[in-house]
Amino acid sequence: MQSITTAVQNSAKKLLEENKVDVVIGFKKGTIPLRSTPVFIRDSNDADKLEWNYYCENNLANYLRNKDQKIGVVVKGCDSRSIVALMKENQLTRDNLYLIGVPCSGMIDRKKVNRIIGDKEILETNCNEDSLIIKTKDSEQTIKLNEVMHNSCLKCNHKNPVIYDEMVAEPVSENSNTDFSEIKEFEEKPAEERKNFFIEELSKCIRCYACRNSCPMCYCQECFVDSTNPEWIGKSAENVQDNLFFQAVRVFHLAGRCVDCGACERACPMDINLGLLTRKLYKDTTEMFNTEAGANLEDAPALSTYNMDDPQPFLLKE
Amino acid sequence: MILTKKDVPNFLDSLKNNYQVFAPVKQDHYTEFKEIENGADAVLDYSNTKTPPKKILFPQSEKLYCYKVEENGVQMEEKADEQQKVIFGIRPCDAKSFTILDKVFDNNKYQDPYYLNRRKNTILVGIGCNAPESTCFCTSLGGGPFDTTGLDLLLVDIGDCYLVEVISEKGKNMLTSCKEAGEEDKKKASQVKENATLTTSINIEGIKEKLDNNFYNEIWDYISEKCIGCGSCTFSCPTCHCFDIVDETADSGGCRIRNWDSCMFPLFTLHGSGHNPRPSNKERFRNRIMHKFNYFVETNDITACVGCGRCIKNCPVNMDIREILEEIQGLEARSVS
Amino acid sequence: MNNPYLPIPMKLIKNFRETDDKLVNSFTLEFINEEDKKNFTYTPGQFAELSVFGKGESPFGIASSPTEPGILKFSVAKVGKVTTSLHLTEEGTTLGVRGPLGNSFPIEKLKGKNIVLISGGFAFTTLRSLATYILNENNRGDFGNLTIIYGARTPGLLLYKEELAEWDKRSDIDLHKTIDKPAEGWDGKVGFVPQVTEEVAPSPENTYAIVCGPPIMIKFTMPALEKLGFKSDQIIMSLENRMKCGIGMCGRCNVGSKYVCKDGPVFTRAQLLEMPNEY
Repeated sequence: MQSITTAVQNSAKKLLEENKVDVVIGFKKGTIPLRSTPVFIRDSNDADKLEWNYYCENNLANYLRNKDQKIGVVVKGCDSRSIVALMKENQLTRDNLYLIGVPCSGMIDRKKVNRIIGDKEILETNCNEDSLIIKTKDSEQTIKLNEVMHNSCLKCNHKNPVIYDEMVAEPVSENSNTDFSEIKEFEEKPAEERKNFFIEELSKCIRCYACRNSCPMCYCQECFVDSTNPEWIGKSAENVQDNLFFQAVRVFHLAGRCVDCGACERACPMDINLGLLTRKLYKDTTEMFNTEAGANLEDAPALSTYNMDDPQPFLLKE
Repeated sequence: MILTKKDVPNFLDSLKNNYQVFAPVKQDHYTEFKEIENGADAVLDYSNTKTPPKKILFPQSEKLYCYKVEENGVQMEEKADEQQKVIFGIRPCDAKSFTILDKVFDNNKYQDPYYLNRRKNTILVGIGCNAPESTCFCTSLGGGPFDTTGLDLLLVDIGDCYLVEVISEKGKNMLTSCKEAGEEDKKKASQVKENATLTTSINIEGIKEKLDNNFYNEIWDYISEKCIGCGSCTFSCPTCHCFDIVDETADSGGCRIRNWDSCMFPLFTLHGSGHNPRPSNKERFRNRIMHKFNYFVETNDITACVGCGRCIKNCPVNMDIREILEEIQGLEARSVS
Repeated sequence: MNNPYLPIPMKLIKNFRETDDKLVNSFTLEFINEEDKKNFTYTPGQFAELSVFGKGESPFGIASSPTEPGILKFSVAKVGKVTTSLHLTEEGTTLGVRGPLGNSFPIEKLKGKNIVLISGGFAFTTLRSLATYILNENNRGDFGNLTIIYGARTPGLLLYKEELAEWDKRSDIDLHKTIDKPAEGWDGKVGFVPQVTEEVAPSPENTYAIVCGPPIMIKFTMPALEKLGFKSDQIIMSLENRMKCGIGMCGRCNVGSKYVCKDGPVFTRAQLLEMPNEY
C-alpha cells in the first residue's frame, strides 16, 4: 500500500510539474478512521497529500464530467470502467484525462466493520497484509480483511483498471469467474420474502439521494424523482413504496451502464443494501447481452445497440 | 434523584400510559429514535443516533391538513398532533437543537403550530455523554456532554443507576417513585462528568465576521469541490429545518404535506424562469455554512450547529465541517468585493 | 394558535388571458366568507400563496389594490405545475388564498413624494396595485407626480391593456409604454426600458423610483437611474426568489440573512447592495 501511495504521489507530482494536467484527483487521509477522502491537487507541492489504502472507496469518475480542464485521476478498476462507460455515452473525452492506474485489492466496508464491533466508536485502525486491527475505547479486535470488504469488491473481476495511461504497480490477480451466487440465492426466495426484504431495507431511506449523486452514471439534467410535471413519484421518505419505486427505476435506468462499483451503497448514510438490486441488473444485462458495462472500449453499450438475436425474455410470446 | 438501570424498562412502560415514548432503539448496527413498544427496547448505552430526534417534533413528512373538494367549495381538516410525548435518552446536543429550532418555528412574525404544539407537549429526558465521540464538538458551540439546555431531566450514568438531575417542573413531576440521591452518588456523578472530555474543539470565535468578509472568497470553490450535493448532511443535522410543501391527492380530496427539503438540492432554489440564484454546489454549500454560522447568528443570536458530528460521519465523501470552519478561520480579513 | 398554513377559500370569478403569447392570465377572486373579507387587509407590494387544491400552492404578488374591495387579483405566468393548472381552472372554482404575506411598498414614506414606477413584462403586477392605489380619488392627493414607464417585447405582451388605455387619458399620470421593436398601430415608445427611462429623465428630487422587472432589465435600469441622480435609498425593488412557506421557515428564499418572503419582497437598492447577490 505504501509503495502505491508513493508511486501515486510521484506520478501526480510529475504530471503537475510538467503541466501535463491542471489538477490531479485522488484520495487523501480522511478525518475519521476507516476513511479516505477525495482530494483535488493543483500544486505539485501538495502531491504528497495523496494516499492509497483500503479506504479509497469513492468512484472518482463522478468528478470528471463538465470540466474544461485537463485532469489526472487516480483510477482503480471500477473508476476506469465508469470512465469507459461515460466515454461511450459521449460524456468524457479521453484526451482530457490522464489515468493513473492503481491495481485494487478491494475496499473496506465500514458498515461491515461496525456490524462486527457493534455500536462502539472506532478510535484507530491498522491494516496489514490480510487483516484489520480495530481499536475502540476498551478493546482491540483483529478482523480478516475479506470479512469486511465491500461485497462489490469481493465479487469484482476487474480489480485492475481496464484503461490507463500508466500503472503505478504490478496488476493484481483477478477473480477467474463471475460470481453471482448471492443473487441466484436471493432469486430463489419466495416473492413475498424478497418483497419484505426490500420493504424493510427501504423503510430506512431518508431520500437524501446520496446513492444517485455518488453514481458517475446518474447524470440526468433532471432526475425523474425531481420532476414535478409530470410528478412520477411522491417526495415523501415515509412512503416505503415510493422509496422502493425510486430505487427500482434508478437501477433500471442504470441497466447495462452500471459497472457495479458499489458507490451507491457505499454512499448511503442509512446503510441500505442497494448492492443486491444493482448487482441483479448487472447480472441480467451481463448474462443476456454477454457484455460487461465499461469492461472495454470496443463493446457497444448493451442497451444502446440492437442485434437480431438479442434475447427478449420480456416478450410474452415469440 | 436516582433511577436504577434495571428499573428503566418498567419506568418507560409506566410512562407509556400517559405519553408516546420515544427512545433510541437498535436498527442495523446503529440506533435510531423511535416510538417504543416496550420499555426494554430502549438502548441508552449508545454513541449517538444515526439521524437526530428532530423528526419526532418535525417529521420528515407530515400532513398539515387534508381537504375535500365539493360542489360548493372545499372542506378543510387540520391535522393536529396533541399527543403528550417523552423523548427519553436524548443527548444534550440534540436537546439543545430544539431550542434552536424553536427560533425557526416561532420567528418574530409567525408561529408554526405543528412544531410548537408538539414541542409544548414533549418532555425531554436527556442522558449525559460519559464518553463523547471523536466527532463530537459540542463544547465549541457552548454545549457540553452534560449540558442541560432544553432538557427537563438529565440522567447521569453512574454505573448501576442514573443520577437524575431535575431541570424543570415538568420533569420533576414525572419522577414520582424515585429515591433521593446520596452523597456517594453525587460524588460519582461529578467524577463521571469530569472524565468526559472531548477530543476535538474548533474555534468559532469571530467566525461570523470572517464569513461576512469572505462571501466572495475563492475558498468556496475549493471547499465545495468534492461535495456531491446530496442531502445526507442536512437530513442528519439536528438544526436543519428546510422543507417543501406538496399536495398529494386521491379522488376528490387530498392533503397538503410538508416534506423535509435540503438546501443542497438544485431544485430548492430554482426559479420558474430557469434562473437559479444558487446554481452550483459552491453557492449551495456556502449557503449551508453561512446559514448556520452567520445568517442564523445575525437573526437569532445563536449558531445553528450543536456539534453533534453527524454530518461528518454520514457524509459519503467525508466533508468535515470542522476542517471547513478551520479553513475559514485561517482566512485573512478581506473586504467584500 | 393561528395556523399560517391554512388558506381561506375564495371563488375564482374571472380567468382572463392577458398576453397574446397565451402565457399570462389574470385571475380575479372573490371572498366566500364575510369574515375573511373583513380580515384580509393588505398593502400594495404584498403577495399571497394561491392554492389549486390537488396541485399545490405558489406565491404571487397581489395585483389588485386595497381600494378595490371584495376581490383579489393575480396575474400569473404559466411556468410549472400549479400555474399550468391555474390557467386551466374554470370560473366558479374554489381556490385557496394564504396571506397577505411579506412587507409592502412603504406607502407612508411614499406620501408627499413623486413616484416613478418602472417595469418590464409581467413583473408589472404589484406596481399595478400601487398605481391603482395612488390613483384612487381618496389617495391621489397624498402623492406627487406619478410617472409610469412600462415596457414589453411586443404590444401583445403588455398586461392590463384596457387600464393602460384609460390611464393614458388621465392628466394626473405621465405614462410611457414602450416595446422593443416598432409594430403596426403602436402609439407608444420604442426601445428598452432603461433607454426610455433615460429619455423620460424623471427628476430624482423628492422622488422614489420603484422598479420591478426581469433581471436583465434591472441590471441596465440601475445605472440609468443613477445617472439621473437617484440615490440607492430612493430606488425600491421587489425580489422574486423561489418560495414555499411564505412565512420565513422553509429556508429557500433567503438572500443573506433576509428571507424574501418575510423580510421582503420589497427592499431598497441600498439594502440590496449590502446583501449577497443570490436572487
